[in-house]
Amino acid sequence: MRLSVIMPVHNRETFVGPALRSLLRQRNAADLDIIVIDDGSTDGSAEMVRSLMAENACIRLFQQPNMGVTRTRNTGLGLLKPETDLVSFLDSDDISPVGRFSADIELFRNDPNLDLTYSRMMLVDKIDDESLEPAADSRSITVRGIHLSAAIFTRRLVERIGVFDEAFHQAEDTDYLLRTFESGPRYVTPETVALYYRRHPGNMTRQTDVQSREFMRAIYKSMTRRKADPTLRRIEGIFELKDLADWQFM
Amino acid sequence: MTRDCDAYAVASRDIVFESFDGEAVVLNLANGKYFGFSDSGSTVWQALSSGVDARALIGLNAGGSTLGAAELEHFISQLLELGLLVPSETAAQPLPGELPAELAATSEPLHVSIHDDLADLIIVDPIHEVEEPLGWPAVKQAS
Repeated sequence: MRLSVIMPVHNRETFVGPALRSLLRQRNAADLDIIVIDDGSTDGSAEMVRSLMAENACIRLFQQPNMGVTRTRNTGLGLLKPETDLVSFLDSDDISPVGRFSADIELFRNDPNLDLTYSRMMLVDKIDDESLEPAADSRSITVRGIHLSAAIFTRRLVERIGVFDEAFHQAEDTDYLLRTFESGPRYVTPETVALYYRRHPGNMTRQTDVQSREFMRAIYKSMTRRKADPTLRRIEGIFELKDLADWQFM
Repeated sequence: MTRDCDAYAVASRDIVFESFDGEAVVLNLANGKYFGFSDSGSTVWQALSSGVDARALIGLNAGGSTLGAAELEHFISQLLELGLLVPSETAAQPLPGELPAELAATSEPLHVSIHDDLADLIIVDPIHEVEEPLGWPAVKQAS
């Protein structure tokens, strides 16, 4: 199966290498197509990507003037080729765990009607960028959060959802995932750890005003859509985040 | 208890609200509940949450009729029971000049609806901490 992974990058020269290597080590899991969109980086991000492209033909790099994360994700969607069967995302500072793709892709192989897998994410405060694993002395917590990398979408589902809403400067991923689940996909929620998310406990302070407003807007739009169209599904029992409340105060 | 005015304040820091296209959205971050308002409810929420004396709203045109004391009292009691507002002892704010016209333009009666199916998300939205100068996705550095 052809799996396309969309990776936006903006000034992440330190992290994009480990992020890409975490995908490349899973080449045996699928016919891997890595789409990197450099969104106007001013550091060595593009060079770092090119250095890995020399030996890895599955990486495609596109560069554009800085447009922000939402439009960059849409650039990635626009670069999908017809042969893509499955679509996922990895941010340029996160790590895709060994076995993440093989575990969930197997589920698609076994169920041709499956539209989506939505797995778990590990928030971890220290990652060994050589082994691409949580460091021995790291602290972590695993939740079913709201993160694009937790998902593998079929191509047909991506076509149905449409593009990221470019009115969002932030929380575009929340909006996209809410629209995904509202559309009533056939999905499963495996126990697979789908990403290591670099995160430190204690910094989950309240959001800034803009972040908060964008998040609330995503929630509001979901409520409004469902009010206007009763065929859309309620979003219940998917996200499991409550454990994070404790982690904040570690 | 006798109060000099009938003013209210937002109950706590866990109660956050925004207005989108004139529609008030209120979240309780402590329990993840989402409160949606009718158009007149949105306008009245905005007035009450900013400390306007509730008595100044009585008799204004709202939702196609005149806002009565009983209707307003019922709405306020709901907001108090839901933990969104508390009585305020501070001096009431004057009625904003544009508010009567905004209220007159509404077409629905006072109403608040409660939803909790996104509670998990609202209680802990763990992801969105992007600080633009750091680039994105954000580097989640320890403070």
